[in-house]
Amino acid sequence: MTRDGGLVLGGMVFYPGGEHVTSWRLPGSEPDAYLDVEYYARFAQTLERGGFATLFIADELYVWDRFESGIDHVVNIRTEPFTLLGALSQRTEHIGLAATVSTTYNEPYHVARKLASIDHLSEGRAAWNLVTSASDEEAWNFGRDANLDHAVRYRRGAEFVDVVQGLWDSWDDDAFLYDQQSGYFAKREGLHVLDHRGEFFRVRGPLNIARPPQAHPVLFQAGASEAGRALAGAKAEGVFTLWQDGLAEAQTLYADYKRRAVEHGRDPSSILVLPAVSPVIGDTEADALRQLDEIEELTPDRVSLDLLSHSLQTDLSDRPLDAPFEHVFDETAINQSKSVYESIRRIAAEATTLREVYRTILRRRFLPGTPEQIADHLTERYEQDAADGFMLAFSSIPVSVDRFVDQVVPELERRGVYDREYRGTTLREHLGLDRPTSRFADTVATEVSA
Amino acid sequence: MSDRILLGAFAFHPGGAHVTGWRHPSSRPAEHVTIGHHRHIAQAAERGFFDTLFLADGLYFWDRYPSGVDHYGALRPEPFTLLAALSQVTSRIGLAATVSTTYNEPYHVARTIASLDHLSRGRAAWNLVTSRYDEEARNFGGDSHIDHARRYERGREFVDVVNGLLDSWDDDAIRADAASGVFADRAGLHRLDHEGEFFRVRGPLNIARPPQGHPLLFQAGGSESGLELAADTADAVFTRGGSASEVRRFVDDLRARAVRHGRAADAVKIMPSVMPVVGETAADARAEADAILARTPDALILEDVSHQIGQDLSGRDVDVPFDYAEEFDTSNETRSPKPAVERLIADGPATPRDVYSWSYRRQLLTGTGPQIADRLEELSDDGGADGFIVQFPYLPGGIDRFVDHVVPELQRRGRTATTYDDLTLRERFGHARVPDRAHR
Repeated sequence: MTRDGGLVLGGMVFYPGGEHVTSWRLPGSEPDAYLDVEYYARFAQTLERGGFATLFIADELYVWDRFESGIDHVVNIRTEPFTLLGALSQRTEHIGLAATVSTTYNEPYHVARKLASIDHLSEGRAAWNLVTSASDEEAWNFGRDANLDHAVRYRRGAEFVDVVQGLWDSWDDDAFLYDQQSGYFAKREGLHVLDHRGEFFRVRGPLNIARPPQAHPVLFQAGASEAGRALAGAKAEGVFTLWQDGLAEAQTLYADYKRRAVEHGRDPSSILVLPAVSPVIGDTEADALRQLDEIEELTPDRVSLDLLSHSLQTDLSDRPLDAPFEHVFDETAINQSKSVYESIRRIAAEATTLREVYRTILRRRFLPGTPEQIADHLTERYEQDAADGFMLAFSSIPVSVDRFVDQVVPELERRGVYDREYRGTTLREHLGLDRPTSRFADTVATEVSA
Repeated sequence: MSDRILLGAFAFHPGGAHVTGWRHPSSRPAEHVTIGHHRHIAQAAERGFFDTLFLADGLYFWDRYPSGVDHYGALRPEPFTLLAALSQVTSRIGLAATVSTTYNEPYHVARTIASLDHLSRGRAAWNLVTSRYDEEARNFGGDSHIDHARRYERGREFVDVVNGLLDSWDDDAIRADAASGVFADRAGLHRLDHEGEFFRVRGPLNIARPPQGHPLLFQAGGSESGLELAADTADAVFTRGGSASEVRRFVDDLRARAVRHGRAADAVKIMPSVMPVVGETAADARAEADAILARTPDALILEDVSHQIGQDLSGRDVDVPFDYAEEFDTSNETRSPKPAVERLIADGPATPRDVYSWSYRRQLLTGTGPQIADRLEELSDDGGADGFIVQFPYLPGGIDRFVDHVVPELQRRGRTATTYDDLTLRERFGHARVPDRAHR
């Protein structure tokens, strides 16, 4: 199903140097600038030049110090997303500003305020990406011994969204009179006290900021487990999916999200499926493959091995790298990302040695090619009902961002599947999403306490 | 030679420090949550070489009384988000956000302050509050606010955890050496492993040490526990204004407390709050002050005074005297002194309008630019204040007037800055950068 405005592009950052843990070592990287606002302003402005609908700041709430290689070689410093987006709201004009929010380690009142604030300060460009957090290290930074159980944290996530969206509806759009003559600032019937009482949260409200320009900042979600997909089908307006090698698998995944949304009574166009992809752009195909080799060469074996240990929640460091890979997969023992665990199980089924497993994991996220090849690939996915657009996880920043905008974007435009002109002023307008009506639209106003 | 006076520009209600500031003819209340309104305030402050902005905050909407909904212009952006935005439209001014230690997690707060400090190149500050209202508790899963003493104990531990997290990385721990592949030096990373009464936080923090080391810490509580916390931990204190002798008593007390905590007497910069109403003539200023008061609706006066003194005055006439009798206990909201109650007890019955007017007028400094400058100099020279947190009864017009009429006078007298030196906010407040763990 192609869209009126063409495919949608988003650009993400997690590791400040790019998608891979050691992207910071690649030529043209700027590892001294990772806490400098100018670095991110340039990133955002480049995306805006390419007509990207949104940028997206991924996040985690800990330093990856489970293994020493993580401290030695991985970029463990990053700015807090809301603070960064608050700053970027003044350095950009059109692009959406999406922050990852952990629903496990936050309070909905704070999050509702922050997102509403960014939405007001950016005139309607805020978005959030709901995550439930995966690692015990995060629990230990917030007074807990271990992360919440996978199912519990998704239930909490669903309730969290409900509370945040309810708080955004605290004030009707027309609640404010601002009448300097009479002295009436607001009308009481335009104020709604949420009084939420649920399994995880008790939140009275009302929120102390006006309803956001977008009413509800756009909700993204990326969880690919059954619980994650169920939540996305019910609530998400955009999902970031794991890149699938085959078109058929990508189509199946796409159809699954659309079906789930329809089962919740939603229009299939109200949820955008955006596979995450990391192009490695070369002047020739051979050049792209050489760059991919370079990414691999700059990643110490030890880092790759420890990343695998991390995802399997098993210490593999004493295993010989070229001996057969042996691991008893048991999904019930995993309380981190279940979808990552499952994808490793699939890779391991076709690999023989430990080294092959982690090399495959390293390489599978990248899409090497010339600008034309990459544009062809993305166009096919878009036209063949496998994507509404793409979340670009750049293989290096700023180099691959510049290349994508300068070389791939024009190719997409030439193919008639992309238009870099912004369609409106708010992110919802860029994405073709409706502005939600208030949950209190048909209710009688709450009596003000006296 | 006289000392430099530090200036902080205070904002809470976007319309100004008086709750009906939004009704001032120069105010544009429909723009209160837009960047334009706040940019105007921040840039005016920077034009006047203010040392810092200072954003107060509350985690609730004041709907305990109907007048809160009807007449207060109490909407506001979340302070850190706003300051991050303002960091990009200002270049030198400090950016201070109020943080409730009762309803926040230290890991989030440490990250956010460190991020703001990096993004603003050393201009971040936080103002520790413990929150006061049951309305805030009810937005965070509770029924009523935690006990006054307990929340200060929590506040104390919160500061320790935040400072400890800020020290997770030594200053030179980040190598970013692409050739060798070493991003960070293991020896320079410290895990906090804090286990206290209120918090268990392992760390380390996922951001490098901020430019200021520890961003400047303000504190504002006037109670015994608040003063002790400030004397022990704060870099600057925002306190109630008053006469030069009242300020002097406060200053001497707090300096003595700092010394008892093993700190230098001037380790805490003391900044009383003042609310100037500036006129071309003294009569103009008085007329402006009266007009601001006259824009306060009677219902708001009754409910505000009821809340302030702990006595239900609903249904009374604002102009008929009443006998004071405390009906409900507000000591868990604030234990700072209550001058209106003291005066009611001393002087006997008064009208609600009078009581409201006392509270309003005792904060005001009314006069011409030179008269207000005189008064600030007196509070500084005789009272011992290091500077002032300046409140503006209406915004943004009030700060423009202050910057245009009072600041030039203070500058002429050599009391406030005429340029920004290339300093971090901490340094501008006369405090050295806090050394990292490797250098203590």
